[in-house]
Amino acid sequence: MSSPPAPWSAPWTCAGAEPRLGGRSEYNRSVNPYLDLTREFNQGGLRAIVSSGQAVVLLRLSVASKDGDWIVRETREALEHVLGVLARRGARYRFGAPLDVRWMQGSWSAHLEFQGAGLRLRTDFVTRPPRLGPADLALLWQQQGAVDMPCVDPRRLIALKQTGRERDYAVIGELARLLSDPHEQLLASRSPDDLVALARAQRVVAQRLSEQRPLLEHALHGDSQALATALDAERRALMAADVARLGRYRAASVAWAEAWPALQREMDDQPLLAQHALMAARALDLLPFVLAGGAA
Amino acid sequence: MSGRADEFLSEEDLDLKNLSWDELLTHWDLWLHQAQASNDDDWHLYSHGVFTVDPRYQGPPPPKDRFVS
Repeated sequence: MSSPPAPWSAPWTCAGAEPRLGGRSEYNRSVNPYLDLTREFNQGGLRAIVSSGQAVVLLRLSVASKDGDWIVRETREALEHVLGVLARRGARYRFGAPLDVRWMQGSWSAHLEFQGAGLRLRTDFVTRPPRLGPADLALLWQQQGAVDMPCVDPRRLIALKQTGRERDYAVIGELARLLSDPHEQLLASRSPDDLVALARAQRVVAQRLSEQRPLLEHALHGDSQALATALDAERRALMAADVARLGRYRAASVAWAEAWPALQREMDDQPLLAQHALMAARALDLLPFVLAGGAA
Repeated sequence: MSGRADEFLSEEDLDLKNLSWDELLTHWDLWLHQAQASNDDDWHLYSHGVFTVDPRYQGPPPPKDRFVS
């Protein structure tokens, strides 16, 4: 159930799914805190793409996350701009990596939060999201370059949602139904009924893809029961892979975690940019830029 | 309802498609405000990225396989 770059996939935008008034996107008049932040992050150039839970809202599938998650461009300018926006909001760092190219290149994540409009707003950032290859990520940036509200598309969101969290697979189930390409649907669907129908309609494609996703053999035979069992096993394997991935980061951040409580006390009264400088300086000795053996 | 035999999300979720943009924003805003009720319970948890728990948390470690948050 991998997500390779898909040249057959048409560019997809969240903004394209929304009605426009007088040629002006309705996103431009929203007052949602995460949309407002996204607009500020992207003032003067595309730097941040809405991902994960808030992208699922923009796709009108579910409102189920109170945190914001963005893929940020892996440049010093982009990360400093994002930090500047958050500094003006009075944000502070949570435990995590510094929002700095050196750690972001290792697929670490940075986490900040602030209070605004009566809400605790958490903002989470990566530049190299899991399960998206470099070519596919580059294509995402290219595709989102000229849209009103940059947002991860359903196919890539499916890859990002293959976490160790069971509820994400329910979201994947509906995300797969947003895909328009039968090839992508056959690789992503989590519904036995949908897969059997797809395999019946796209037999040659399903046969070819069954090498990549063996459970499609059950779909080709119309065996919904075996398919359901195989889908459960696939989900468990994907969850276990993500748990193992996070385990590698946990192991690599033991020293950083031990130092964090004292460091956070030191940073408590500092403005965000001073927190960042202190945190990056301290992390140099305690948090590797890249995991041994490469990013997971 | 879509009429499908298997639905992955709730009827309320699936109805989001039928909301106007303003209605969606209102629903989203209301949901975010209601969700603040669990802030004290999840201060130490992470829902994205490669970290899972704040090191200052003294309780039992969260399970490695998560069902919800």
